[in-house]
Amino acid sequence: MPETDLEVAERAPGAGGSSPALRIEDLSVSYATIRGRVRALDHVSLAIPRGQVLGLVGESGSGKSTVVLALLGLLDEAAEVTATALEFEGHDLLGDPVTPRGRRIGTVFQDPSSILNPALPVGLQVAEPLLVHRRMGRAEAFERAKELLAQMGIPRPGAVMRAYPHQLSGGMKQRALIAQALATEPDLLLLDEPTTALDVTVEAQILDLLDGLRAERGLTMLLVSHNLGIVDRICDRVCVLYAGRTLESGPTSALLQAPRHPYTRGLLGALPRPDRLEAAPLVPIPGNLPDLTNPDPGCNFRPRCPFAEQGCAEPQFLSEILPGHWVRCHRVGIVETLPWPLPEPVARAGGGTPERHRERLVEAAEMQRAFRSGGTFARLLGTESVTRAVDGVSLAIGRGESVGLVGESGCGKSTLGRLLLRLLPAESGSLRFAGEAVPEHPAAEFRRRAQIVFQNPDTALNPRQTVAAILSRPLHRFALAEGPEVVREVERLLDLVRLPHAFRSRYPHQLSGGEKQRVGIARALATRPDFVIADEAVSALDVSVQAAVLNLLADLRARLGVAYLFISHDIGVIAHIAERVVVMYRGRLMEEGRTAQVLHPPYHPYTEALLSAVPVVGARERSASRIRLAGDASSAVSAAGCPFAARCPRRIGPLCDTVPPPWQVAAEGHRIACHIPLPTLAAMPPALGG
Amino acid sequence: MAGFVVRRLLAVVGVLLAMSVLIFAIVHILPGNVAYAILGEYATPGAVAALEAKLGLNEPLSVQYWHWLAQMLHGNLGQSLSMDRPAAPLIAGALGRSAILAGMSFALVVVLGIGGGVYGATHKGRVSDRTLAFVQFLFIAVPDFFWAILAILFFAAWLHWLPATGYESIAEAGVGGWLAHLLLPVAVLTLGLTAHVSRLARSSMLEVLESRYILAARAKGLPERLVLYRHALRNALPPAITVLAIDAGILMGGIVVIETVFAYPGLGRLLVYAIEQRDLPLLQAGMMVVTAIYAIANLLADFSYALLNPRLRHGRSIR
Repeated sequence: MPETDLEVAERAPGAGGSSPALRIEDLSVSYATIRGRVRALDHVSLAIPRGQVLGLVGESGSGKSTVVLALLGLLDEAAEVTATALEFEGHDLLGDPVTPRGRRIGTVFQDPSSILNPALPVGLQVAEPLLVHRRMGRAEAFERAKELLAQMGIPRPGAVMRAYPHQLSGGMKQRALIAQALATEPDLLLLDEPTTALDVTVEAQILDLLDGLRAERGLTMLLVSHNLGIVDRICDRVCVLYAGRTLESGPTSALLQAPRHPYTRGLLGALPRPDRLEAAPLVPIPGNLPDLTNPDPGCNFRPRCPFAEQGCAEPQFLSEILPGHWVRCHRVGIVETLPWPLPEPVARAGGGTPERHRERLVEAAEMQRAFRSGGTFARLLGTESVTRAVDGVSLAIGRGESVGLVGESGCGKSTLGRLLLRLLPAESGSLRFAGEAVPEHPAAEFRRRAQIVFQNPDTALNPRQTVAAILSRPLHRFALAEGPEVVREVERLLDLVRLPHAFRSRYPHQLSGGEKQRVGIARALATRPDFVIADEAVSALDVSVQAAVLNLLADLRARLGVAYLFISHDIGVIAHIAERVVVMYRGRLMEEGRTAQVLHPPYHPYTEALLSAVPVVGARERSASRIRLAGDASSAVSAAGCPFAARCPRRIGPLCDTVPPPWQVAAEGHRIACHIPLPTLAAMPPALGG
Repeated sequence: MAGFVVRRLLAVVGVLLAMSVLIFAIVHILPGNVAYAILGEYATPGAVAALEAKLGLNEPLSVQYWHWLAQMLHGNLGQSLSMDRPAAPLIAGALGRSAILAGMSFALVVVLGIGGGVYGATHKGRVSDRTLAFVQFLFIAVPDFFWAILAILFFAAWLHWLPATGYESIAEAGVGGWLAHLLLPVAVLTLGLTAHVSRLARSSMLEVLESRYILAARAKGLPERLVLYRHALRNALPPAITVLAIDAGILMGGIVVIETVFAYPGLGRLLVYAIEQRDLPLLQAGMMVVTAIYAIANLLADFSYALLNPRLRHGRSIR
């Protein structure tokens, strides 16, 4: 098998005639663990021609970050790395990874907050490569670093140089890191999930920046991402990695428009897309990542593939089905003609009941909550800073309704969620639940009827409790079951979220991310609530698993009549699950309406900017008409007028800064808080195309 | 930052006031008559009455406390009863000698503790790291006075390299003689605490070395020396500093024991003497001084903590 792969790799993947800038052939990485040898990468080959961008796509556990660390020689000491070639511009990276590191190869990692050293000023960190590799003097290096920051679009680079990481927003930090990676003018840029922890609007800015750099400097880039939309936006070629093996690679548009490998097809089918609202339900890929300690000699996607047959147990090879388009599937010719089997039909809830006839379940009026920073002294000296996280928000949710709440990070959406559950005391405003006022310290009955699913299933489940203990706790707390009933009830809950009964005795660390989130959902449903807040409940999950959890949530709503408030920064997810969408910015509501209404003009300029920033697969040409927001949600705000005025690309004048925008009713149930007249808003081009 | 400094200073004043009440109270709320406690149970009533008058014990407790505190604030630490001399110069002399002992030990604990921690973290799992860990656990597990007695037996009684006990000033014995008397007590005081600090510095350093910004620093191609000392150590120090401040307190407890074993005329020994002689004014003054030193050590730790943590120095974000 290795020799065949080698043979393939020599011609593969589409490097063309010229010698590529980066050449990886038969890269294998394995670790010794207690459970046995984990094969993180299994004969991976790829090549990037000079000046091109290759996207390396995969879900968690695919080994995509391992490729980056192997190129840098920064894998754990326990890792065993083999390759027939690991070359960068003729330099052998396997033998000597140290020389080019930071000098000719720049790296940008994900999550700038944990990548910048919290104890050192940003300027030093950007100038450091110049001091070390270029042996520049301090003054010269700092001057150059300042120029680089300015080139990356950072306003007031001098102040940023002196600042510490915690003083900068996420987008600024990532710009500083890109500046640092480019300081020594490298020939190759490794980008490991460069926008993953950022807001869509900031992500769009960073992608523009990278796109510009590539055009100006002819940089060769390796972009590692789980997000197919981002890859589509800036990559020339894409390589799809699954459990350590390349399953498909080819030119970006061909691969994403007409995916050939069942896994690639599955990934695209599982992706919630704001531009395909009325499309079929999401198609999850069943199952989990295979056990890497015991790699399947045949196709490793076989257990999850709907088209698998006996022949798939044989070793599979990459074959070139079209020029430059390689697929590792022996049935590729037959499989592409077969339709992907649809999941069990998901009942669409509430379809028959028009919303105006629905009884109101949650009614919040003029909710207000501010956060103060600085202590007693700051208050006495008047230097205290007050953030109005939720500023006079009124919101109603009907029985069995699913409402989506979107906005950038820091817009107050999670705070609003907590206020609605009375998990955080409101400063003013009233809350009614099922027609009755909810006091500041609500009775147990309210707690039973209103529940929450948290974002990060890893930290939301007690690691020392079994699944049964986690699920039976609310049953005991609210006296919902006793004795043998508890066991039956736990089983019912496991059935609801489609987990086997045997999971009862497992601990959270024995579950995968998707399974943990199912337990989180089951726990919220244990009390048979009427209202569940899902606060970024699927954000931490892989696309294939996320689709399954979203379908589950939709299905549960249909069967149990639960109302949801779905809080998310991902407008694709919201568009898929919510009947009604609420758009929030800096503590205030900007727009509210049915999903289809909000996703199309007329909409609020902020909604337009959010939609326009979403990297949607197959929407590359959209970039010409793209709206870009400067700054981020923490940018300065005018106290009196519209909170969005400072960043609004369609600001009409001083009116926006001084007068609070009125609610304009665009259609029944659809209202927009903006000064711009409705006909003008309606004439805006659709941000999602088509 | 200014607010932080003011807050910490106020807290120190608060701690000292609270401690002064406690120290005063311990002496006066103890069962029985203070004068009897000082003079012994066979004292004549006349002597007791005289002492009570001298100490102002006939006044209400609050008035007594107020007088005592006011005297303290004026720098008057009272009168030693057993020696019939002002307590201040007694304490100052003893404090000076203890400061030499404690200062040297503490400096060694800082250097060896953090150095050993960094060494352990960078040589994790190797034979040298494991040996170091074993020796350190030995020093943590076995109490100071045992090592002190062992050191005296070995270096003084058997090898005759060093004097067993006592103290000689530089003026009397020259630097050599002065150091010879300090060597054993300093070594014994240092060993246990070094082990303590170094275990913590090691785990803190290991945690920092696992962090993503260290990975990023290596990806930048920085030499390992810069990665360790510029990027890692700064972030690993704060927990070590917290422990060093606690250790300053343990050091003071240790000094009482070590000074007694080595018959070293320091503050610890003076306190033991005051207790033995029932010299209450001397005891109160000595305890107040010890409390103040401990509070100041913690204040210094807080400040160095702030210096290492830019979040405390630079609060505002840049827009």
